Amino acid sequence: MLRTPSWATASLLAVAISLAGCGEDKEQNTAEAPAPQAQAPAVQSATPAEPAPVAVSEEAASKVVNHYADLALAVFSDAHAAGVKLQEAVNAFLANPNDETLTAARQAWLAARVPYMQTEVFRFGNPVVDEWEGQLNAWPLDEGLIDYVAGDYQHGLGNPGATANIVANEQIQVGEDTIDVTEITGEKLASLNELAGSEANVATGYHAIEFLLWGQDLNGTGPGAGERPATDYVEGEGCTGGNCDRRRAYLKAVTDLLVDDLKVMVAEWQPNQDGNYRATLLAEPAENGLRKMLFGMGSLSLGELAGERMKVALEANSTEDEHDCFSDNTHNSHFYNAKGIRNVYLGQYQRIDGTTLEGPSLSSLVQAQNPEVDADLRADLETTEAKMQALVESADNGKAFDQLIAADNQEGQELVRAAIAALVEQTAAIEQAAGALGIDNLNPDTADHQF
Amino acid sequence: MLFDRSLIAACATAAIALALGACAQKDPYQAASAGLADGVLLPAYTQWTETDRRLAASARAFCAGNESLADARRVLRDAQLAWSGLQPMLVGPLGEGNRAWQVQFWPDKKNLVGRQVGNLLKANPDLTSADVEEGSVVVQGLTAYEYVLHDKTVDLSDAQVRARYCPLLIAIGDHQQKLSADILGQWEGDDGMASQLRTFPNARYADPNEAIADLLRVQVTALDALKKKLGTPLGRLSKGHPQPYQAEAWRSGASLPMIGAALAGAEALWQGGKESGLRSLVDDAHADLANRIDQAYASVRQTADSFDEPLAELVGTEEGRTRLAELYEQLDTLHRLHQNDLAQALGVQIGFNAHDGD
Repeated sequence: MLRTPSWATASLLAVAISLAGCGEDKEQNTAEAPAPQAQAPAVQSATPAEPAPVAVSEEAASKVVNHYADLALAVFSDAHAAGVKLQEAVNAFLANPNDETLTAARQAWLAARVPYMQTEVFRFGNPVVDEWEGQLNAWPLDEGLIDYVAGDYQHGLGNPGATANIVANEQIQVGEDTIDVTEITGEKLASLNELAGSEANVATGYHAIEFLLWGQDLNGTGPGAGERPATDYVEGEGCTGGNCDRRRAYLKAVTDLLVDDLKVMVAEWQPNQDGNYRATLLAEPAENGLRKMLFGMGSLSLGELAGERMKVALEANSTEDEHDCFSDNTHNSHFYNAKGIRNVYLGQYQRIDGTTLEGPSLSSLVQAQNPEVDADLRADLETTEAKMQALVESADNGKAFDQLIAADNQEGQELVRAAIAALVEQTAAIEQAAGALGIDNLNPDTADHQF
Repeated sequence: MLFDRSLIAACATAAIALALGACAQKDPYQAASAGLADGVLLPAYTQWTETDRRLAASARAFCAGNESLADARRVLRDAQLAWSGLQPMLVGPLGEGNRAWQVQFWPDKKNLVGRQVGNLLKANPDLTSADVEEGSVVVQGLTAYEYVLHDKTVDLSDAQVRARYCPLLIAIGDHQQKLSADILGQWEGDDGMASQLRTFPNARYADPNEAIADLLRVQVTALDALKKKLGTPLGRLSKGHPQPYQAEAWRSGASLPMIGAALAGAEALWQGGKESGLRSLVDDAHADLANRIDQAYASVRQTADSFDEPLAELVGTEEGRTRLAELYEQLDTLHRLHQNDLAQALGVQIGFNAHDGD
């Protein structure tokens, strides 16, 4: 249930007691707070006897922030490497479009999501990532901007680009403006993102590629993903869906752009590069770095993953709000999002080549201040992973996320709800960890739905 | 053990508040929490429950031909405003689970309400309350009710259309009445939410500081949400392109009145009812802060009440956007004063809220 962060209260208490004293209660100040594992929630949050946090040494904090940057470099490098594999698979598919090469391209897209989703914990708190990511992972999209859609296609009200269909048109009409898209280049596509101000106008990134490889998932909350035929990419005779040449150009351009973008972000995290983001980050007081780490973990955990990506889809029974809705890969995206949060806390990351990167961690800093808080958060992160694993297993057994959120699937909804609850619980533990390190002001940003 | 700790907390708070004075004084945090529960929160929840009771009755009367559409819309407006007034008071049962979402689904980026209402009625030509109870939150709340009464594609002057949509109206009215009565029940009673704001420790709060922290947190969250509710249609998140259909309650033109009602609720939490509010906890050293917050409320509420046209129209003109931008700046000021200055003055860590993220 509720685990209201009590550190602020606790440190106030410590101050007040040492100044004023309250008679026989004074010895409570030094009494070690017990670990009230199975007791009432009020007891758990009632830990007024905790000492005020001892300042974390700048040196220890710096090492943790530096390793955080190493972790970012590794995960962005993996995202780039997996993007290059995707690019190769897309090129092979376009050279010879058939079921086999399409399947290989789809597999490469799925593999590329594994490291990318683990990068997202770096997004919140690091403006360089947050300002960059829209071009790569914006979602949900009004896919009618890109290509043909089915008759009952639903889009944002008042989005003038929702049915522009770039693949079918050399000139697209957006409101009163005509835009020339004769040449389909990465630059041109990037300029069409958020066209006319609508954030559902997404022309680039993983989800645009996903739509081009899978097509719309017309199964609603029933089994099955998008079923775009490979023949949508056949040159000349045999082309399905119309305008195969333009669709080919689109897929090629948008995939190349993704790889270029990923490369840019790898450069931002390279060591010893004057003027890149890593240099800026490491030049700041280490406390700022710790705050960014915790802010990234908490923001992804609560507002973005538990809220936008899971709870909206669940409570509205809305497959429109499912994250990887064309490919039905949502379970994996959520799993690796959560994994990323855990990576940052533990200072660990398993690379796509199977090796593990390890180093000075937030966990070790928190443990030195308050072992109980550290143990709580580690346990919560593990619980979250187990709940996410349940979603993965469900999908592997034929019940994907979009089936779990069906209005009449109580059992499925419970699986999703349990994962959300674990994320909420872990966010409270992240606040406790911040408190243990003396980090206040977790600088909130903004998201959409209230939790 | 438990009791001892709360005693420490009470003493410590008192010690700070009274500048190392005696511990025997009544804890102001407890007084504020209890005063807000009885003077502000409980009356607001009671009022909301009453508007939902009238909403349920109105749906039946309208569908029986005994109430005009204009009257039905007025009753809906009352329910919308009562709900908005609760936004800064979502502590406890209504803030948990998916209950708040059952009252209203927003933002509705892809017109889910239009789509889901259509699908629901198509799948259930003889719609029952159970179909709505088991349905998604999108069809259970005020957004769907508003869609039926205000969407231009729903012509309620046509008897056939009315017959088609009426079971949904009635089911939503009943659902809201049931939900609000249930929530009010959880506020009242010996171990109810109001009681948990009066006496400590309890199953929810170890001490009054936690209760005050919780109250301030939901207030800050609500102020943050108001920025979103105005900023989104104003185009602040979309390169300056206004997005009128992304506004809350755009179909009924209630967006700005709802912002005004939420501000009134937030100010009630600040000033307190008959008893003391959060303002009473600001010590003399922060008197200037208290005055600045008073003034921030006065100016933002004056601006919010100064609009005659609906938000969706205002975002369409340069002059309207300028005036709304001023309101936004005032909301931002008010939000920052709470989130940073007031939180610090009251010793509250704000932590993460649902708005963190995208």
